[in-house]
Amino acid sequence: MRIGFTLDGRDVAVDVEPRRTLADVLRDDLGQTGVHLGCEHGVCGTCTVLVDGEPVRACLQLTAQVARRHVRTVAGLEGPDGALDPLQEAFSTERGLQCGFCTPGFLMLLRGALDEDPTVVDDPARLDALLASNLCRCTGYEGIRNAARRARDS
Amino acid sequence: MTLARVEDRRLVTGRGRFVADLVEPGCLEAAFVRPRVAHADLAGLDVTVARSMPGVHAVLTADDLGGVDDVPALFGGDDLPPWRPLVVDRVRHAGEPVACVVADDRHRAEDAAGAVVPDLRELPGRPDAATALAADAPLYDGHRDVVLDQELGEPVAEATWADAAVVVETDLRQQLLAPTSLEARAILVRPEPGGLTVWCSHQYPHALRDGLAAALGLDTGAVRVVVPDVGGAFGGKSPTFPEYVVVAVAAQRLRRPVRWVEDRTEALWAATRGRGQAQRLRMAADAEGRITAIDLHVDAAIGAHPVGAGIPVQTGLAASGAYAVPEVHARIRAVLTTTAPTFAYRGAGRPEAAYAVERGVDLLARRLGLDAVELRRRNLVRDFPHDTPTGRRYDSGDYAAALDRALELLEPDTWRAEQARRRDEGGRPLGVGVACYVERSGGEPGILEEYAVVEARGDGGFVAGVGTSSTGQSHETVFPALVAGVLGVAPDRVRLVEGDTAAVPEGHGSFASRSLQMGGAALHGAAGALVVAARERAAADWGVDVAHVGWDGGTLRSGERETSVAALAPLCAEHRFSSPPAFPYGVYGAVVEIDPELGSVDVLRLVAVDDYGTVVDHGVVHGQTLGSLTQGLGQALYEDVPLDADGVPRLEQGLLDYLLPTAAEIPPLRLDETAVPAPDNPLGAKGAGEAGCIGVPPAVVNAVADALDGVPGADPSLLAMPLTPATVWNALWGGAR
Repeated sequence: MRIGFTLDGRDVAVDVEPRRTLADVLRDDLGQTGVHLGCEHGVCGTCTVLVDGEPVRACLQLTAQVARRHVRTVAGLEGPDGALDPLQEAFSTERGLQCGFCTPGFLMLLRGALDEDPTVVDDPARLDALLASNLCRCTGYEGIRNAARRARDS
Repeated sequence: MTLARVEDRRLVTGRGRFVADLVEPGCLEAAFVRPRVAHADLAGLDVTVARSMPGVHAVLTADDLGGVDDVPALFGGDDLPPWRPLVVDRVRHAGEPVACVVADDRHRAEDAAGAVVPDLRELPGRPDAATALAADAPLYDGHRDVVLDQELGEPVAEATWADAAVVVETDLRQQLLAPTSLEARAILVRPEPGGLTVWCSHQYPHALRDGLAAALGLDTGAVRVVVPDVGGAFGGKSPTFPEYVVVAVAAQRLRRPVRWVEDRTEALWAATRGRGQAQRLRMAADAEGRITAIDLHVDAAIGAHPVGAGIPVQTGLAASGAYAVPEVHARIRAVLTTTAPTFAYRGAGRPEAAYAVERGVDLLARRLGLDAVELRRRNLVRDFPHDTPTGRRYDSGDYAAALDRALELLEPDTWRAEQARRRDEGGRPLGVGVACYVERSGGEPGILEEYAVVEARGDGGFVAGVGTSSTGQSHETVFPALVAGVLGVAPDRVRLVEGDTAAVPEGHGSFASRSLQMGGAALHGAAGALVVAARERAAADWGVDVAHVGWDGGTLRSGERETSVAALAPLCAEHRFSSPPAFPYGVYGAVVEIDPELGSVDVLRLVAVDDYGTVVDHGVVHGQTLGSLTQGLGQALYEDVPLDADGVPRLEQGLLDYLLPTAAEIPPLRLDETAVPAPDNPLGAKGAGEAGCIGVPPAVVNAVADALDGVPGADPSLLAMPLTPATVWNALWGGAR
């Protein structure tokens, strides 16, 4: 089946088997290998992308579900001049990553949440509840938490 | 010092290159057929339908691997059973691969894998060491089930037990843990004329090169292993796995690149696990609280293939803990079980020892009516080097200073007052726990060496090569800066080459917290050797004594003469560094509160004071502490691979059944470091990767046991990791349920 959607601001169309997930199509058909797969059953959040601004697990979406919608991935965070999003800068400054495998998912989770309501990072309990949506095995989350706050302030 | 990370730009923009991301024209994808039985005869294997399915290029079974050697053993015992890359006639753990499908893409490979029909005749399983030891026939005909039975130290004299003021004895369990790097195992093999190029998510590329070459009958030089970005490892990515051998064979036979990317279900079912020990601990002390003896018996469930049989020996070597104890003895047995192989997981044998010893110290203190901190203080090692009865030489430290600092951060007196108030007036049970640890970093004989080379290039830059291999530890940031520091140049003039066996001829990878201590020291030596070589070259060119040639940030001078090292290029210097291991140590503390209705544990404060020797980059080291203590919390409170009676993991819902700590589980932390330099390497560095996995579990469990102490009818001996609400509730109510 042919599915059209917007990927990081440009129109794309793909012919896909109905069973194929958004994550697989983004990676395999559209070359968006910044979308990482950590569990493929919706627990780890590594594959998080924004669909119409809302963070979703790309491994749990069939591609057909994003027809005519706006999909944003980590590749769409940089400005046209290559300038990093403040969140990307903050992750580096605050050591919010080590191996970097979970990083695109956390970036998109936080980008969506900050766009929706920047005050989410002001309350530690709300921030932790948000971050608990994704898994990181390297950092112990401190750098990610601090990066979220730094990005809100910049 | 905390440097900006060189790695980050590509990783925060999605331009990292992990094995699954590599674009290799014509690449096929592999999937394995993994029966979900723990133990069964494989009476037949029907692959006819699978072979005819669309997009399928090959279905390999054991019959296709006649000329392929066994999977290389990392553990060098004698009389070891053979490890065939695919099951020949008996499945010995759930998920053990019986066939491999290679197809155009992973979907088609999985479709065909589902169409392979194994004829399995189930046999009784042996999920743990006790069951295996009681089995009436060996797991492998003609081979012993006990693949290792080793004693460390002399047996404790009977008189010591008899003369002790108090002897405690307890059975302890180290559950199985799934290392769960978020990127699971992954390999891509491209056949080359007469050899292979291999991209693999791996910790030890040179061993993988040698292992694949041995299995396939190739010259070592015909195999090139490249390690691209790696999404965490934590000990689970060092072996030459059977799947890697099969993928390499498939690539050779099909003359096409073949990739296998393990999915999470496979990783939870069939990848290596850590820990997995049944322990019996006996400790004695005199009336003043001096520990007189420790006896630790370990039966390790080593899984169906003894690749990790050497790891529980680490537990025996570490059985003295941080204490000067005159008699220490350990007996370590590694027993074959019908479970996936037990191998290294962050800490690898040391968490198991620290947990036993530190639980034992608390039990001694209770029996003696002594404060558990005071008992620790009376027994800490104070003079260095210190030889333990089980064969370790602790290199350096000020253990008492770490304890003092931890107590400042923990503030036990304040919490004890609150505990007493609650016991009088009512309130949730509150407990305070402390644990000391000493661990070993750098590795064991055979890998207590590392290779580095530094080259001056004609463009004014330097290339530093080293045999370690980063899996997320900031090597690209720290190592060039370290080399630049020796050369007296800006760090951005130095580029690191690592994780490529064609670029760096030898090396021992990254595990055992060895990268900085061994690899950093090798780079330090190579950079220094390059300066010497440059001065010698300039001296010869100029006809002056080398003593009169100075080096200043890449510029060589002698009198009026001056040249850049770039003008001498190509010029390079190698260094092979070797040293005894180092012994990081520290003190952890925890304050916990228990919900008596739910049995849930709330950690109110977690304290860690670690000594990693001289620290090069505080940001990296702090990150290692945070990451390892989070994994330690996972072992203490959440993580477990539960098994059925035969050894099949009960993880049907994947990561919904295997609970990993999230941001919401991190307690308030108070962290600090002390820094007693390691005497045996020029950087003064001790390994910093594994501390939290070692210190957190005993501190948390001691705190929960302390909380239960004040509850009438509670039975702390019923506590076992992970401290799930059900376990704690049961102990709180004295086994009433």
